[in-house]
Amino acid sequence: MDTISRRKFLQLTGASAIGATATQLSISDIAKAAVTRPLPLGTPIVVVVTLYGGNDGLNTVVPFNDPIYKSSRPDILLKDTQVLPIGEDLGLNATMTGFKSLWDQKKLAIVRGVGYPSPDRSHFSSMAIWQSASPKAHVSSGWIGRWLDSQQHDPFQAIGLGSVLPPLLAGVKQVGSVLPLGGLVIPTGSLATDCKRLSLPSNSDSRLQAAAAVSMKDLFSISSTVTPILKRPAPIPDNLPSNVGGNFGSDSSLSQQLDVVAKLVAAGSPTKVWAVSLGGFDTHADEVKAQSALLGTVSNSITRFLSQIHATNRANDVVVMVYSEFGRRVKANASHGTDHGTSGPVFLAGNRINGGFYGDQPALTAQISGDLAVTTDFRNIYGSVIEDVLSTPVGQVISGWSSKLPLIKGF
Amino acid sequence: MAISPDRLEISRLVHRFGFGPKPGEYAALVASGLTAARNTILNPPAVDLGLQSVVDPAPTDLGPFPTPNTPAAVTFAQNMRAQNADLVAWWLDRMVLANNGLTERMTWFWHGHWATAVGKVEYALAMKIQNETLRKYALGNFNQMASTMLQDAALQYWLDGNQNQKGAPNENLARELMELFTLGVGNYSEDDVKALARALTGFSVNRSSAVTTFNPAKHDSSILTILGKSSIFDPQSAVNLLASQDACSNFIANRLWFRFISTSTTAPDSSISTAFSNRDLAATVKVVATHSAMKDPLNSQVKSPVEWFVSVAKALKITPSKLQNRAQVTNYLDKLAQVPFAPPNVGGWPYDEAWLNAASAQYRLAFADFLIKQGDLSPIINGTGDPFQQLADWLGIAEWSSRTKQVLRTVSGDPARTTLIAICSPEYVVNG
Repeated sequence: MDTISRRKFLQLTGASAIGATATQLSISDIAKAAVTRPLPLGTPIVVVVTLYGGNDGLNTVVPFNDPIYKSSRPDILLKDTQVLPIGEDLGLNATMTGFKSLWDQKKLAIVRGVGYPSPDRSHFSSMAIWQSASPKAHVSSGWIGRWLDSQQHDPFQAIGLGSVLPPLLAGVKQVGSVLPLGGLVIPTGSLATDCKRLSLPSNSDSRLQAAAAVSMKDLFSISSTVTPILKRPAPIPDNLPSNVGGNFGSDSSLSQQLDVVAKLVAAGSPTKVWAVSLGGFDTHADEVKAQSALLGTVSNSITRFLSQIHATNRANDVVVMVYSEFGRRVKANASHGTDHGTSGPVFLAGNRINGGFYGDQPALTAQISGDLAVTTDFRNIYGSVIEDVLSTPVGQVISGWSSKLPLIKGF
Repeated sequence: MAISPDRLEISRLVHRFGFGPKPGEYAALVASGLTAARNTILNPPAVDLGLQSVVDPAPTDLGPFPTPNTPAAVTFAQNMRAQNADLVAWWLDRMVLANNGLTERMTWFWHGHWATAVGKVEYALAMKIQNETLRKYALGNFNQMASTMLQDAALQYWLDGNQNQKGAPNENLARELMELFTLGVGNYSEDDVKALARALTGFSVNRSSAVTTFNPAKHDSSILTILGKSSIFDPQSAVNLLASQDACSNFIANRLWFRFISTSTTAPDSSISTAFSNRDLAATVKVVATHSAMKDPLNSQVKSPVEWFVSVAKALKITPSKLQNRAQVTNYLDKLAQVPFAPPNVGGWPYDEAWLNAASAQYRLAFADFLIKQGDLSPIINGTGDPFQQLADWLGIAEWSSRTKQVLRTVSGDPARTTLIAICSPEYVVNG
């Protein structure tokens, strides 16, 4: 399979059943909220980037000098000329020039060997674990959703881009909202009148029929007075390093999602958590080209996003976190790819981040049945985000958490 | 007014197990009573006369990809595109024109189950052969389906089975075979995945001719332990072992429940998995379709974009391949995120709320307008009697809501607008 998307995950976890109670915000709803009650300047904002499919960490943060690395994957090896060295005998995949510049500015944290005990290699189970922050017990709420539970109700507080609610935004009492992408052409004239009437609730509607009516209503709730926010150009990056300029303006869906987030953050949307995603990391075959292109998209989109935010007055507010459901096997398979594995790196980026390495690089001399050891529990990263960015006691949100990492600068 | 329970159940039967009614069909089924309606819907004829006019596109072996940037490469790409477009039109025609929709509907279900995408496979011939296999066993024996699918060139290529060789296994096919096709998560261990990958080694695939070859010399014939059984496995004995597990009965029963009855509840009893115990799909599907949950008003389901389109085409007497500008059909389906032969990933299609958002509402309106302009609206133009009843009977809707009736009343002199409102209404987009 060449693509694992969030849909696959959502489908099998039943997350869209939870999504039924999610509010579908129209862009105008958000724009109105931004106008009437903008997020106070200085309020931290988290952007969670989910990479679906299981990103191969060893070809992302590459131990390019390690003889075991070289001998384990001769066909998909990244040589020292194909990486951007960042110290400790590690190098970023050469497509990640944006991340390298963030690293040099000490705005990028790389947490190594991240995972959880007894790794699960199913895309769906492992992604459920990451999104629920519950490796052992099956929990249907997401970690950001439980943070929402600890907050006053506000449908704008956490928003996922796309048409289906990502499980991490589903709490027990509250759920985040979703914002569908894509330009809409609104019917006009008598058709508009008819369709608006068709979008009214009816007490004979089933749950799903009511949702169908709401989807029609949503189409009309975009009013001409507020859509200009989204029609405006995205904030213009003001500090974009020249060496990452080449690939911007790509139409990849991640950069589109982040463009929308940038516009709405700039406009003051009262949103503290945004969730975006990119699929395609399930590289069982012919990995190097595909993964490098995807990592280039991740690095370029996020670097551009941070530069856009830098052009606003919220440059110190935004933290981006990037994770995937698992890393991949150390040894390549015979198809120039890698099979499902265990731990991988997590990235955090932004002015608020104490740049540098966290966690130990899993030693290739200490593999566990051909897989990397887990050296950092992912819940410790979540704990830092919950407490040091979202200013909420961790215990309310995540159990099985042991200690925070000093990832976040105080301001 | 309460909805007649039989009208609701027959609406569900005809939509969920047959892509919706042709003009006049729903009223006749309701008049015949629930038992007779079930018999009609669940017993496809040996030869479906509705399909006689459908021309098999017979895709050919296009051979390997030519050298890029040559005239041959241009011709090749055009042929490949044309074959793939013909394949989609052919299957949509079958869905619309079959007099009994059950076989095509089950083929559609199994396409989502063994979800293989043309985006990677590329060749129409391989996709067509897989589709014929799914149709052959759609109401046949599941073990035979699994055995045949194991050797299916499109599936093997899609999940890198051709790259899975002795000494260097690729686990992609083995994992999905257990997780998504036969057992479900939690019913196998990581060691089982590794062992199964080894047991499945030795296949090679010719993608253009869709021929899968098993080479015993490339097969790992070590003694392996899979699901507690130690043996020298060949790929067939390994897949037979999976398909014979009790976990497989529960898994397939749950998948049928999910796609035909409800995505938000689970089966309250074991009747479906029990029916599946001898792997007879026709018998199992009958148990699904006659389950008491089919009456439960809570178990509504959203029509996926293809299901919505096919039901509209049946009502409007549209033959997809004969539409003017037929490529628009694929364009609209693509905007709605569901094109046959192109599932988003091996997990298959999303469901229910995933199809309900502002964007899909907009595209559905535009698609409906496109279809209505070429459709046969005579059932409401020429109808007599209660117009709401006629419209509901035409489209297979149990009962209109007061909301939709109110809108229909305001557009009553305009058959095209009436049809548009009806087929974009919550009652039609969501099946009861």
